[in-house]
Amino acid sequence: MSSAPEIVFAGTDGGALTELAAYEAVGGLTALRRAREMTPAQIVAELEASQLRGRGGAFFPTGRKWSFLPKPEQNPRPHYLVVNADESEPGTFKDREIMLRVPFRFLEGCLVAARAIESTRVFVYIRGEYLREFEVLVSALEQLRARNLLGDVTIVLHRGAGAYICGEETALLESLEGERGQPRTKPPFPAIAGLYASPTAVNNVESITTVTPIIEMGGAEYAKLGVEDSTGTRVFSLSGNVVRPGNYELPHGYPLRDLIYEVGGGIADGRTLKAVIPGGSSTPILTASEAEKVTLDFDSLSQAGTAIGSAAVIVLDDRCCMVQLGVRVSQFYEHESCGKCTPCRVGTRWLTQILKKIEAGHGTHADLDLLLDVGDHVNGTCLCPLGDSDAIAVASYVAKFREEFLQHIEDGGCPFHGTSSLDGIVAPTDVHEAHAGGAEIHRPLEVVG
Amino acid sequence: MSDLVKLTIDDREVEVAKGTGLVETAAAAGIEIPVFCYEPRLGPAVGACRMCLVEVEGMPKLQAGCTLTAQDGMVVHTASTSARAAEGQKGTLEFILVNHPLDCPVCDKGGECPLQDLTFRYGPGSTRMTFPKLTFDKPIPVSPLIALDRERCILCYRCTRFSSDVAEDEQLIARNRGAYSMIATFGDEPYRAPFSGNVIELCPVGALTSTQYRFEARPWEIQDVPTVCGLCPAGCNIRATTREGLVKRVQSRNHPEVDGGWLCDKGRFTFPHLRSDDRVREPLVRGTVGLEPVSWDAALDRAEELLRGAQGKIVTALSGSETTEIAYGLGVLLRRGLGAHSAVLDESTSAALDACRAPLSTIGAAELVVVVGDDEVVDRAPIVDLWLRKARRAGAEIVTIGARGSVPAPVGGAAEALRDLAAADSELGGRLRASDRAILVWSGSGGGGGARLAEAAHALGFEGKPGCAVFHLPARANARGVAEAWAAAADADEADPEPIGLLVVSGDEAAGDPSVRALAERASTVIAITMFHSLAVGWADLVLPATASLEREGTAMNLEGRVQRLRRAVTPPVPDELAWLSKLAERFGVALSPHAAVVFEELSGRIYGGLLLEQLGEHAGLPARRPYEAPEPTPLAHSPEANVPEDHFVGTLRLLRYTPLFSGHQVERVPELQFQRPEREVALSTVDADRRGIATGDLVSLRSNGTSVELRARVDARLVEGVARLADEHAAHLHADVEVVKA
Ligand SMILES: Cc1cc2nc3c(=O)[nH]c(=O)nc-3n(C[C@H](O)[C@H](O)[C@H](O)COP(=O)(O)O)c2cc1C
Ligand code: SF4
Ligand code: SF4
Ligand code: SF4
Ligand code: FES
Repeated sequence: MSSAPEIVFAGTDGGALTELAAYEAVGGLTALRRAREMTPAQIVAELEASQLRGRGGAFFPTGRKWSFLPKPEQNPRPHYLVVNADESEPGTFKDREIMLRVPFRFLEGCLVAARAIESTRVFVYIRGEYLREFEVLVSALEQLRARNLLGDVTIVLHRGAGAYICGEETALLESLEGERGQPRTKPPFPAIAGLYASPTAVNNVESITTVTPIIEMGGAEYAKLGVEDSTGTRVFSLSGNVVRPGNYELPHGYPLRDLIYEVGGGIADGRTLKAVIPGGSSTPILTASEAEKVTLDFDSLSQAGTAIGSAAVIVLDDRCCMVQLGVRVSQFYEHESCGKCTPCRVGTRWLTQILKKIEAGHGTHADLDLLLDVGDHVNGTCLCPLGDSDAIAVASYVAKFREEFLQHIEDGGCPFHGTSSLDGIVAPTDVHEAHAGGAEIHRPLEVVG
Repeated sequence: MSDLVKLTIDDREVEVAKGTGLVETAAAAGIEIPVFCYEPRLGPAVGACRMCLVEVEGMPKLQAGCTLTAQDGMVVHTASTSARAAEGQKGTLEFILVNHPLDCPVCDKGGECPLQDLTFRYGPGSTRMTFPKLTFDKPIPVSPLIALDRERCILCYRCTRFSSDVAEDEQLIARNRGAYSMIATFGDEPYRAPFSGNVIELCPVGALTSTQYRFEARPWEIQDVPTVCGLCPAGCNIRATTREGLVKRVQSRNHPEVDGGWLCDKGRFTFPHLRSDDRVREPLVRGTVGLEPVSWDAALDRAEELLRGAQGKIVTALSGSETTEIAYGLGVLLRRGLGAHSAVLDESTSAALDACRAPLSTIGAAELVVVVGDDEVVDRAPIVDLWLRKARRAGAEIVTIGARGSVPAPVGGAAEALRDLAAADSELGGRLRASDRAILVWSGSGGGGGARLAEAAHALGFEGKPGCAVFHLPARANARGVAEAWAAAADADEADPEPIGLLVVSGDEAAGDPSVRALAERASTVIAITMFHSLAVGWADLVLPATASLEREGTAMNLEGRVQRLRRAVTPPVPDELAWLSKLAERFGVALSPHAAVVFEELSGRIYGGLLLEQLGEHAGLPARRPYEAPEPTPLAHSPEANVPEDHFVGTLRLLRYTPLFSGHQVERVPELQFQRPEREVALSTVDADRRGIATGDLVSLRSNGTSVELRARVDARLVEGVARLADEHAAHLHADVEVVKA
């Protein structure tokens, strides 16, 4: 186990800080008090010094993003902070744990961030299925309000309705406005014209939660954690064929193999490592030998041709069929495509169809070429990164495990004969559908605090 | 100019104004960037179809060209000079065709289909898709007017954007997501809205088709005739598609200043009335057993006899829907030939309005619009409603003063409101005076018509400000042109004859007008010029068949004061009006050409300063403003007074009749338009409904002077107190004051 400092989960001791008094007992609310004595520019400067980069997937510097918002005197429209709590990328489950265990650190971060961008209106767009998380936030918000700690800030907790695409920031804004959840063309970027065409900062839950300790400890101090270009800690969602799956807060630059073998307890059931998806389903896969070498930070993973993404590490053992993985991942994107742009709407479905054909043993060599060619036409032509992600992920499976695809074609069937270990790791879409019954959605759909 | 930018597209240098869209910029250089979803009239580009992919130097990914604007120094490569862009475009087209049924041979769009054209030019020769295509039930009726084929739909979202962002009716939606996204109406209700038909023209494929046009013609066997719509005073520019002598459809001919490329459903879908069963196809004279057909010679003899017999005691009831040339021809015959100067025309417009005229598109750029009158703009001149919405979306403030206004006024009180606006102490008037982009619209009957409006605009100082304009919305399409042509036909003054020897009823609107019918009671004889039997029976001594505006050559003046040219789309089944008018004129020794063009030349010399027909062109311009000349004062028809019952629960209410957009003799004859006609209902203010314990949907009875009408109530929160508002066609013989009780 690592002895890394906990920043996001500091003071929790493995438990949850859902009572305000308990949170204050571990030093909670210091950041808020300090921030209220700082000017907005000073807060932004502190964030820039911390070199915090977005934890939602795109890894964009948070301080820089905030500095793009015009000053209220340049644009008199209301400024908004929108927090992205729609967490739906397969493999990713860190934001839910943050909201469950450190709701006050998160809300404190909201208040600090709002001050930094001179906003009094905060929207938290929370994944519809996250009912418990929602309730914890509702309770925390009530406690803050009861103590008059919100100041002039209104925080709205808004529940989504079950669409991955609503995690894409502009689709999220459309959905929040009551429109169909589909991405907008950029520019204009949300910082200039976001929610209700007003200046808006959109940030991930973990990014915002990290703002709190950055103000507490100072940006420069925070920047000492992690490695160059990837400062600070990260909550990694470790899943798949490991002994101890779960969320682990570790400094950037942590070796992937240590995460798997030490933190995660190694490959389960005595199997061997076959591959790792390092940053959520949208990131290219790594072979076992590649995984041995990389560290968990932006530079190392980029050099390995993949990305840190949402820091969701999916570990696959030697029973995993790469074609089946392709089917399930592609199916996910097909199912979640919003349908706005042609290449994604049509291409994700087509990719899935070809993959299913190969998995069923009916594929030909031409089908494999077609698969890659269709992917090439999807990648880079879509309106938002969703479609690209499918093509990139699938292409990486073929590139790294081409032999296995060929085996399916040449043997006329899956070499794993139905023993592939993917169940419970990446669920097929029909499983999603079976789960997402009406029972999961409860009222209220929105709470204003 | 300093705000020009220079960029390079496909190695060609182009210079355009900064901010010009890249698609337009390329077009200016003669380079095509193919598009499907891009349509600037629907608002900002959405970047959905990805057909327009281009490579821009310095940008790593391919870009949707439609979402870009020209920037200085930009270097763009379209598919013709960039292999990547060509590959991207090829991919997009392949994706679009993956689920497309390719049923071009039986598709109405075939031959004029952007998808077909672009596939022909850029598309793959064969498909690599071997899985079953997505299928849907087809066609689905979106309404009795529009059919939807979801298999052909390429999900460009043009139709839904029109519905939500232009017409703002919010009825067309996209349902589901991803590959299973589909166009639908909200709640699967029929798409019932004034402008629904525009989505047919917007659809770049054969997904939305007109039920009237389905399987009626192929593009290579049709002829399109450019003309103007004659169903309201907006005068939208249209193209009538004809095949084998029949009008098959009506489409927009986009006059950017008049209609912006949109049409209302009345203008678009009403043409089948030309083929109505009860159309008068030969002259009729009253015989012993009602109207009997006679030859044209006999009819002209009878007409001459009636005209002479009246000894100058002739009154002419004009419709206001005649061409300017027909009205002039009538004037020449009756005024010059017979000295009969008396005419009735439903409404008084005024030439004084020309001092503050401007294109309708000026509304779209306004900051403040004041609409005065009791009628909804959409009922009088629908397209103006779209300009108002455009203005509001762009941030303009729209103030309405009337019985349903944002500033409520008692019925008929709008005229007074207009006078008040011009008064020095009016706050709103002050803002109109101060603004450089203010518009004043009159949408109602009575109140002294255009003259009073012109006075108000003059008083508000609109003349000197090109961004300020005034629009009077008359009830009839060519009200201005007809009034001016009649006036120009002779110099003598009007004199009302009593008794009336002969009433000449010109056109269907006049023939259907109750006040004209009342006039007929006082006339010894009646000549009716009408298209339909039902309007002819029971009162006319001689019936002469009329033609429809789609069958006419000539001109009309729209509500802006723009003279536009009508062209004959199809030959009428009867001789046109000028043909027999000229023959009759000859019998009375006056010269009148049977050719509209010649008549125009003569009248143009008198009223349009010698304007030539050729000068009107396909898209007629609006002449410069004329100096203001104070119009004749006319007293207010009736002084409005508030009609609020005070302490009794069930008082009488003032009847407010209105003429709905989807009404009239033409609309009534088109079965597929019936669903657009108004519900049988009466609108009551919240207060009046509460007093009577009436809720929306209740059956109520309206009573006055022994007549009563039963219909459903609708509580209308916008309506002023003391009013019962209902469509003309449901008002029957009710009088001005009615009692309303729950039935
Ligand atoms: C298809 C798609 C799904 C996304 N889902 C999420 C999500 O669930 N949560 C999230 O924080 N960011 C998500 N993002 C990234 C957001 O668009 C955005 O970059 C992020 O919220 C910015 O916050 P950050 O700068 O703090 O990371 C998604 C992006 C895409 C393209
Ligand atoms: S890429 Fe997919 S999810 Fe993104 S806009 Fe296009 S269709 Fe929608
Ligand atoms: S029906 Fe036509 S206009 Fe509407 S989305 Fe489909 S293709 Fe586009
Ligand atoms: S708005 Fe008027 S002129 Fe235009 S199409 Fe409709 S009826 Fe015809
Ligand atoms: S025309 Fe540009 S994306 Fe459709």
